[in-house]
Amino acid sequence: MNEKKVEEMTKQKGTLNTYKLDCTGCKACAADYQADNLKHAIARLNGVSSIKVDEVTGKVVVEFDDAKIILSKITQRMEKLGYHVEVAKTEEVK
Amino acid sequence: MNEHVTNTILVVLIGVFALAGALVSGASIAYAHEMSIVLTLIAVALGYRIYLHGIRSLLHGGITAQLFATIAIFISVIAGLVLPQASATGTAEAVGYLTASAIVAFIIQAGMTIEGYIIHRTRGALEKLIKMSPTTAKVRRDGKEIEVPIDDVRVGDTVLIKPGDKIPVDGLVLSGYSTVNQATITGESIPAEKKAGDHTFAGTLNENGALELKVEKIGEDTTLAHLIQLVEEAQEKKAPIQNIADRFTTYFLPIMAVVSTSVFLASYFTLGFEIALARTVTVLLVACPCALSIAVPVAVAGTIGNASMNAIIIKGGTHIEKLKDVNFVAFDKTGTLTAGKPKVVAVKTFGKNSEADVVKYAAIAEKFSEHPLSKAVLAKAAEMRLEVADPKDFRTIPGQGIDAHYGTKHILIGRRMFDGPISKEADALSEQVESEGKTAIPVILDKELIGVVVVADTVRENSVEAIGRLRSIGVKTAMITGDNMQTAKFIAGQLGVDEYYAELLPEQKVDVVKKLRNGNVVAMVGDGVNDAPALANSDVGFAMGAAGSDVAVETADVALLGDDLTKVEYAISLSRKAFSKMKGNIVYAFIWNIIALSLAAFGILNPVLAVILAEAGCISVVVNSALLLLNKPKAFLKAP
Repeated sequence: MNEKKVEEMTKQKGTLNTYKLDCTGCKACAADYQADNLKHAIARLNGVSSIKVDEVTGKVVVEFDDAKIILSKITQRMEKLGYHVEVAKTEEVK
Repeated sequence: MNEHVTNTILVVLIGVFALAGALVSGASIAYAHEMSIVLTLIAVALGYRIYLHGIRSLLHGGITAQLFATIAIFISVIAGLVLPQASATGTAEAVGYLTASAIVAFIIQAGMTIEGYIIHRTRGALEKLIKMSPTTAKVRRDGKEIEVPIDDVRVGDTVLIKPGDKIPVDGLVLSGYSTVNQATITGESIPAEKKAGDHTFAGTLNENGALELKVEKIGEDTTLAHLIQLVEEAQEKKAPIQNIADRFTTYFLPIMAVVSTSVFLASYFTLGFEIALARTVTVLLVACPCALSIAVPVAVAGTIGNASMNAIIIKGGTHIEKLKDVNFVAFDKTGTLTAGKPKVVAVKTFGKNSEADVVKYAAIAEKFSEHPLSKAVLAKAAEMRLEVADPKDFRTIPGQGIDAHYGTKHILIGRRMFDGPISKEADALSEQVESEGKTAIPVILDKELIGVVVVADTVRENSVEAIGRLRSIGVKTAMITGDNMQTAKFIAGQLGVDEYYAELLPEQKVDVVKKLRNGNVVAMVGDGVNDAPALANSDVGFAMGAAGSDVAVETADVALLGDDLTKVEYAISLSRKAFSKMKGNIVYAFIWNIIALSLAAFGILNPVLAVILAEAGCISVVVNSALLLLNKPKAFLKAP
């Protein structure tokens, strides 16, 4: 979708575990709804090229260009949206 | 691929295979029965998203409606494949069970797709805001104009804005003159003038002039981007009423597991295995807590989205619930109900002097004074296009007035500059205007009174309308001010507020708010900076004119981006409507579930009807909530 110039950029992939702070444990359709919101809010950030949100497990995989954005800025944004975030791993994408 | 597209394709495929399966079974061709079974099984298999969701959530420790659907479909498929050998009705029954499971998969997949789409649309307001921001900018670099992607623009760059362009950055006007429609940010439909030294917002629309801007903020730092982020965050913040729905949903599915087991056992021992099976499947399919769990979040998102399109930022579901109860609104006076800038409201002339003479001499004397009253006089002179010469000399006597010379003429400004009565008429006039909280400035030329300039802070255009609208929805109003009693009384009378409190220090404003909260739910409206403590001590704090002031937007519960006070009534009315929808949806979903469940348990529903009922319940609730997005402000009240 959002193809950007690839030269001199290192693409990073971050895998995050998240859960919603105020969720009372119901895991019905509301989870899909929240996942959809989270996806949009993060995908919009400058430098984020893709995001996958697993609405069942809360696992988020985000790909970004570290010349434009750092992972902590992404997690900060998620926290502002009411998620608790743990970074599971980061790797470079070839 | 786009989620909605994938889901839609799946719905179509399931439908096609299920239909093909049903048609083939009746056709007189070789292996019709076997082909029909294969086609139907493919249809069922294409509902894989439902099963994956259900099974994965079970592995993750959660019970979901998708899990129930998965179990129901699985039982039906097995029954369809296994039962006919034992059943007297034979092959027809086999296709019956199988076809039913394909239809169920079709309906659930369709329901999920439709809900997903509607929910996506509630973000429509936000998407619209995001699209306001252009993706490229014309930048001047090394003397050349080049168009670059917005990501490559840097703070400090010079950006050129042509007539009709959308402004891509928050910037400072370096040169040029134009009018800019800032409705996206401030909700103000009247375009704002922009000249060198003014600031512009990203996402606003330049009208007919050209501007050169120095880039101050780009990308995620712009005012527009901040507003979008605030709306995103606000939409995620739950309304307290959600807790009731959540508590219910938490128990709902485990209870359903018990109910379906009981239904199976009870029917098995009284009516036999097959009927027991059919009823259990039906019960599992009718159990849909979606309506409960999704009704409130969608309503919150719809309300906040709608508000943001009206230049109101409501900072979360909690505030919607508070707003609906507001029955008293306290306004700060200066800068909120009034413009906060003194203006010349009348010029009274004496003798043969014209209005222009009076203003001209007053302006000459006050030309170099920094006093707000002087600025008002100078603004009036500019408005009347009068040439204002420099005074030869001038002297300000604090609290009294100005003594100035111009050519051979001697000008005195202010009542106290003159000994003795000037004229009876002038004294009477002064007394009268002062009782209205205005200031009378006598202008004396060579010891002769030539006129009186009357200066006052003016009530904002729509303040009266704002108060009237609040009254029309049963909300009382009060004006709170640090100004003197006389001025307060006059302005309060002009506005028609129910109560007014004057001569207050900022901390006393807090006390008034606390006192008003005795028995009332009080909203306080102010600029969000000077009156932040009063805002913080009210039930709902409104900051007005908040666009561009991060402090005001941050501290307020509700930020009015422009200066339109009628939005206070709109925010309250919208919240009332939203809350009654939330409550209505929860009650409706609850009753719907109970009825559908009873019908299923007593065998009045079959699996296909059950799943149609469940999905219809869910979709109607979501649609009802999403409709909040389309709410519109009432037309202006007629003048009294």
